[in-house]
Amino acid sequence: MYYVELLLIGLVWGCTYAMMALGLTLVYGLLRILHVAQATVFTLGAYAGLLTANGTGSLPLAFLVGALVAGASGPVIYRLVYQPILDKPPFVALVASIGILIAMEDGFRLLFGPYGLSFAHNPWFTDTVGFAGLSLNVVQIWIVIAAVVLLSAFAIFASRTRAGVAWRATVSDPPIAESFGVSVRGVRYTAFFIASVLAGIAGVLVGLLNNLVEPGMGGLISYKGLAIIVLGGLGNVPGTLAASLLLGLVEAYGTVFLDKALDRDAIAFLFLIAILMVRPQGLLGKAH
Amino acid sequence: MDYYVSVATFAALNVILALGLNLISGFCGQVSLGHAAFYGLGAYAAALCSVAGAPLGLSMLAGVLVAGLAGAVVGFAALRVREDFLAIVTMGVGFLFLGAVRKQQWLGAEMGIARIPSPLDKWGYAMLAIGAAIALVLLSAHVRRSWMGRAFGAVAQDEDAARTIGIDVAGYKIAAFFLGTAAAGLAGAIYAHMTQLIVPDAFNFVQSVTILAMVVVGGIGSTLGVVAGAVLLTLMPEMFRFINDYKLLVYGALLLVVMRFSPEGLAGIVYRLIGRRLA
Amino acid sequence: MSAILAGEGLSIAFGGVRAVAGVSLKVERGELVGLIGPNGAGKTTLLRLLTGVLAPDAGRVAFEGRDVTRLPIHRRAQLGLVLTHQIVRPFREMTLAENVMVAAAPEVTRRPWTALARVDARAARARALALLERLGIGDAADKPARSVPLGYLKRMQVARALALGPRLLMLDEPLAGLNYTEAARLADLIAALNADGLTMVLVEHNLGEVTRIARRLLVLHNGAVLAEGAPRAVMARAEVREAYLGHAGAVGAHA
Repeated sequence: MYYVELLLIGLVWGCTYAMMALGLTLVYGLLRILHVAQATVFTLGAYAGLLTANGTGSLPLAFLVGALVAGASGPVIYRLVYQPILDKPPFVALVASIGILIAMEDGFRLLFGPYGLSFAHNPWFTDTVGFAGLSLNVVQIWIVIAAVVLLSAFAIFASRTRAGVAWRATVSDPPIAESFGVSVRGVRYTAFFIASVLAGIAGVLVGLLNNLVEPGMGGLISYKGLAIIVLGGLGNVPGTLAASLLLGLVEAYGTVFLDKALDRDAIAFLFLIAILMVRPQGLLGKAH
Repeated sequence: MDYYVSVATFAALNVILALGLNLISGFCGQVSLGHAAFYGLGAYAAALCSVAGAPLGLSMLAGVLVAGLAGAVVGFAALRVREDFLAIVTMGVGFLFLGAVRKQQWLGAEMGIARIPSPLDKWGYAMLAIGAAIALVLLSAHVRRSWMGRAFGAVAQDEDAARTIGIDVAGYKIAAFFLGTAAAGLAGAIYAHMTQLIVPDAFNFVQSVTILAMVVVGGIGSTLGVVAGAVLLTLMPEMFRFINDYKLLVYGALLLVVMRFSPEGLAGIVYRLIGRRLA
Repeated sequence: MSAILAGEGLSIAFGGVRAVAGVSLKVERGELVGLIGPNGAGKTTLLRLLTGVLAPDAGRVAFEGRDVTRLPIHRRAQLGLVLTHQIVRPFREMTLAENVMVAAAPEVTRRPWTALARVDARAARARALALLERLGIGDAADKPARSVPLGYLKRMQVARALALGPRLLMLDEPLAGLNYTEAARLADLIAALNADGLTMVLVEHNLGEVTRIARRLLVLHNGAVLAEGAPRAVMARAEVREAYLGHAGAVGAHA
């Protein structure tokens, strides 16, 4: 039973990662940028959601506001920071992104205090659902549901809608996509919007899970998200999903067995480094 | 007076750290987002030796070697992956180091190592640090002028082309990592004895980013630029006291602004003014 | 044996497609061999197998009698087996002279730690300038690589390869992207280098020039050797024309 519990915990973590990582792989697929600043969007969504929840008492509204605030910030970051430096070597965008992350983390600390804020009324935090002898926190269940719903929605979007097809075309070959009338800029803004909405929703969910929204909450998830998209094959959506879940499981089981030697984050990165050494192209990437 | 000595020492340590990273990333073009881990390795190795009774010189040597060898191992990793992947692997190395140290009781776990013997006084460390910084500036300038510098440049600009002209790209990458991380280890060894207390959090990702900020703001690849960047970013929080509270906000904003408007940093600005290309 | 390079039974497949299938070839000292064939014939792949950019699924490569099949690219270059790429790869931030200089002191750059000890680059610079002069671009020696036209870069690439003191130089489409006059001039230069004693293998699409300067042609088609021999004789063969045109018409009409 214990191991099944670990499995579930791992899956929940994996779902959280998946929501972040999908956005990261969207951006990377289009622009070859490691969008570390996704952490900022995540945290922004969390704060917006928490403030709304505490102000209005409505969780659905909190999610909506969190998603929209986050969703707006992503394209803004693209327009102000990334777009002007697209022609520069890749490390420029990465370092700029890190700059945003570090600056905003401090910014959140200055605005909202270093110790974080809690939800005034968080029934999900304490409610649990039992089945088959296991007990799951309601937030955990919602995380899985949200991940499944959102990721499926994205899959449908990518394969069935015009916008989704346009995105895939732009990923493979921007000039050709453009000559077919695809607005490359439109695709980019859409990608950032989608990635940011996902991050924002994830932010609110994680905030609810821990009943805490604090300035640094986005950092580790974002860094691991980068590790995940590398593992899953850059720009490869199914691979990213698989890698997210896999990492969640590795962390869950790893923290139990390696507890004496390494902490959770070290286990995650050890796993990543080991895989990359054996398969430098990632789990599902193509060898060059 | 004591205060100024302290600040000068920290500035010198930051110069050493930044120049080490500049060697790896600026000269040889290998992204490294985990430089603080080698700072930490040097500090821990030196601290353990001193606590066990070794003389200062031996402890410092231990710090340099442990960091340098670990760097060479990471350099091997750089052979397998490039650019973005390498960025993430080196970031991962940083977290791996941190996560491992936090759990080891013999390394003091979260509390770190305290009561490290300190044979020198404040002035002693200042001299040591400044002397080491000067040595590193000279080494840096020498590498740049030497054939190693030329080969590094080839590896940084196009490693496949470098191979076709007979350059042992693998060997050079490992050499770059070894030199750069050994420098970080030296800084760590001095730091450990100076502060007499080291904790894992002093060597986290934010610290790696801080060092990166110094290199980037100064001008990646430019020895003098990087020295300026390190000194500036050490003095700034001290000169403008209020900045200390907003330190990370300022560093982050600086990184952002520099990358957005002048990716070649201060050195780039200076060279543009003088009208020469970045040497 | 006088053959400076020998490939035996070289094969490689990419995802089920046999790019090179059991190719054997010999290059004699002093030859200028043209490696031609229609698009997708496997010419560049074969060149990459010979120089170590790719590892073969089967077969051996011997250079000056020594088995180099498992040797990495830079070791082969140090032994004298040198390749220039189809797409020019200059070190963009360096000047043309600096580009050539990096290759001009292989005995120094061989080991990183000896390279660290040596600073003196005067001899290397003199060699670099001489080579750039020889290739006709001495006037641009101190211009940054990113600011000179393609023709200059192609010549710089050859100069850089020569700086290594190669025993066998393999050129992957050196004339590609050059206009009629530039191509003719570079082809003349290549012929002159060969006349001075440098063994060379040329992969080329520019049939006019390659039939003019090569002593021997090797035609590749679908990953295998289709024909071999003196240029005129090879180009007159029906199967060669068919491979290029899909029918037995005149090939290489421009001369």
